[in-house]
Amino acid sequence: MSMSEQQTLKQQVTLLELVDRVLNKGVVVSGDITLSVAGVDLVYVGLRVLLSSVATLEEPRERISAAGAAP
Amino acid sequence: MIAPTATLPRKGLGWYLYGVAAADEASARLGAGLAAGAAQEVELVTEGPLVGVASRVSLEEFDEQALPDRLSDATWLEQKIRTHEHVLERVLEHASVVPCRFCTVYRGEVELRRFLSERGEALEAALDRVRGRVEVGVKAFVDRDRFAAGRARQNDDIRQLEAQASTAEGGRAYLERRRLEQLVASELERFRGEAADRIHTRLLSAAEDGLVLPLQAPELSGRAEEMVFNGAYLVTADRVGFEEALGSLARDIRDDGIDLELTGPWPAYNFVPEELGAG
Repeated sequence: MSMSEQQTLKQQVTLLELVDRVLNKGVVVSGDITLSVAGVDLVYVGLRVLLSSVATLEEPRERISAAGAAP
Repeated sequence: MIAPTATLPRKGLGWYLYGVAAADEASARLGAGLAAGAAQEVELVTEGPLVGVASRVSLEEFDEQALPDRLSDATWLEQKIRTHEHVLERVLEHASVVPCRFCTVYRGEVELRRFLSERGEALEAALDRVRGRVEVGVKAFVDRDRFAAGRARQNDDIRQLEAQASTAEGGRAYLERRRLEQLVASELERFRGEAADRIHTRLLSAAEDGLVLPLQAPELSGRAEEMVFNGAYLVTADRVGFEEALGSLARDIRDDGIDLELTGPWPAYNFVPEELGAG
């Protein structure tokens, strides 16, 4: 394994990376024997709480336009 | 969302289910591993060939009515998310696991066991798919300066304009630099899709399965560079073949201005069925 690969492996996992998986993915069990949060958009709720802004998450990004001026 | 029936007890202890593993693989190896240094006591609930990895939790804390408020408490949310992942990562060191969605809570052990037995077939099928495998995440970012200095120069117009801009003076030089920036930006726009296709095709060939995920905004990725690809791959637990492919791909596209970032190993969140149906 190269140095750079080792570095990327050690890359610290951010909370937001976790949110993406823990809140958004995994087996969903629905039914009245569980306390179900299936109706809650967990990712949206979680990110709204954990980020100041999620506006950019709601739409696919269209950031660069050929005509766009430099900031 | 299914409302709890009024007759069910709302207080007391329920079971928070993190994930499900195979009993033959998990029980012996997991027992010791989970006990060590656990922030939250984790218990293995064995039902036939399956093991539920769970903790007893307060039903009041995870009450459906109270949950929306809890979820808006950043400290609570972060702690629970980290616990969920931490428990699953410790399981993953010893056994394959089907991860559950955040906040899967059963009202009692009977209900948890019933889920494991009634949905046993689907759970075993899900386990078979992830057995001996882990998920890794790969993101690609483009460094605009390196892209402009390298890949963009394969475009004749860009090379030509660069030569003009370097000899021009005053106002004209400014305008030509602006034109050049715009041309590089549009070349990058075109290149993004090409790069994403190339990355996914190459990595998929070294993985058991793979998915293209939505791109993340910079505040999510934590990097200033623009993300051009976000993918998840199901790979063998030793990851050797995949990492070789990743390393060689990284070398190939570095001069195009693309950097790859690897995360994981993760429980196979992206490679388990989303719906297992009612328990």
